[in-house]
Amino acid sequence: MSIEVSLNCPACGGAVKAQEGRTTLNCQYCGSALFLEGDAGVITIAFKNKMDRERASSLSQGWFRKGWKARDLATKGKVLEAYPIYLPFWMTRMRVLGWICGYEERQRSDSKGNTRTERIPKEEMVLHDYPLSEIACDPGDLGIKRLRNFSGDSGLEDFTMIPTYEATTSKDQALDHMKGEAVTNARRDSRVPHITFERLHVLPRAMSMVYYPIWVVRYSYNENMYFYTMDGVTGEVISGRAPGDHLYQSLAITAGTSIGGIMAGLGIASGVTEFALGGVVIGAAIFFLTYTFFRHGSEIIQGDFDDKKYGISTLKGLAGMSDLFKFLPFDMRR
Amino acid sequence: MKVVQVKCPQCGLPIQTKVLDQLFYCESCHTLHSRNGGVNIVPYEIADVRPDLKGQATYYPFWRVFCTVNITNSNVAGGTLYKLSKYMQGGGNTGSLNVFVPAAEMDIGTSKQLAMSLTYEPPRYRPRMDFGGRERLGTNITKEEAADVADFVIVTMEAEKPGVLQSLTYDLKVNDIKLIYLPYSSAPGLVPAW
Repeated sequence: MSIEVSLNCPACGGAVKAQEGRTTLNCQYCGSALFLEGDAGVITIAFKNKMDRERASSLSQGWFRKGWKARDLATKGKVLEAYPIYLPFWMTRMRVLGWICGYEERQRSDSKGNTRTERIPKEEMVLHDYPLSEIACDPGDLGIKRLRNFSGDSGLEDFTMIPTYEATTSKDQALDHMKGEAVTNARRDSRVPHITFERLHVLPRAMSMVYYPIWVVRYSYNENMYFYTMDGVTGEVISGRAPGDHLYQSLAITAGTSIGGIMAGLGIASGVTEFALGGVVIGAAIFFLTYTFFRHGSEIIQGDFDDKKYGISTLKGLAGMSDLFKFLPFDMRR
Repeated sequence: MKVVQVKCPQCGLPIQTKVLDQLFYCESCHTLHSRNGGVNIVPYEIADVRPDLKGQATYYPFWRVFCTVNITNSNVAGGTLYKLSKYMQGGGNTGSLNVFVPAAEMDIGTSKQLAMSLTYEPPRYRPRMDFGGRERLGTNITKEEAADVADFVIVTMEAEKPGVLQSLTYDLKVNDIKLIYLPYSSAPGLVPAW
């Protein structure tokens, strides 16, 4: 994170810069030690908006062509309006340190087909800094819940000119959420599947309220209204909704049914029970993925939407299906 | 957000410093104070540099956490459990020790290595009144956070012994926390200079 806030020294009037999250700084001109008295220790900063209306609209062509959106979206999509807003985010860097101990189970089979479960003890030290953010207001249907970018210039000159959402969540609420997220990240990174001992300490290194410029671009396609949001600093599309393509949906379900069926058929035709069950499970997983795209692919969704029915949520659903593998008489993950 | 010039709560003089620090040291009356959560005077000790030191030394701040540990249950797979009591004064599964927590912003690996080495072998030094014009690093870990890091050091002492730690039940009581400045010479590597 490299955000700086420009201020003036109260002793000599010289220009000083404070790094985001720090409450102390020194004047490089008179050498005075300075202290930032914020709102309950929270520093508020605003990123400088680097985009304008023309650029926000023109970048739409690239996004229209990307992914499984309607093939004629780039020609038929018509940008109706583009405007900037400032969204508030809580931002911090969480240092997690501690130990996670436990074990991993591995199944091994000998030449006679006997299977035994081996327990491998694990102890993992956790020493990690996680930069985290969380939106501090209700963003409505914008599909933005956290910051993607943590670098940029800060400034307050256009802050009053652009509509700004009010922060509605408290610092303590955000800290609790982000501490939980940091612990979840630490558990994931430790790769200890069965935990028998855990001692983690989460130390917030800095807490800031960041106002971040977002461009909202609304457009129409075949008389339906859609939108996308764009990062006002980097120009990247953060979230959005776009029409899907019926051809892609049809191809997906056709291919999924065929490949899934072939996998299951090959498994059954092998005559070996383990291969038959494995083939059916893999075939069902392929069918499930392609069916999900067929069912919900009429609208392509990007971003942090709760109603997103495919993408990461689909993969999570598929991960849940991995429990099926446990019922197989052999270990598919070997 | 308001910027204020920091003045010493003891003598009232403005603090002049080049060190970016969460604690403010008054060169006039040698008072150290913090401002997060109100103005608080921070007790500290400065270790004297050994007389035969050649070259420069820099002062590193450490929180010395004096704590009492009581281990009620532990389980290690595949190795012999080394008792923490070796490093404690009390013996058995209960005892007291000083845990040294680096208070400066530094690489997380270096921070852990310094904490472990100083806790295993606590420094013995002659105290002095001031820094003697030597450079010092600023603090970035608060007193409250130091207690958490001390807990981590205790578990690390147990976990880094042979075998794989599977469970550990213990109580940790922090009795006292004090800031200690220790001098290190910087070339080559970090070498104790007290």
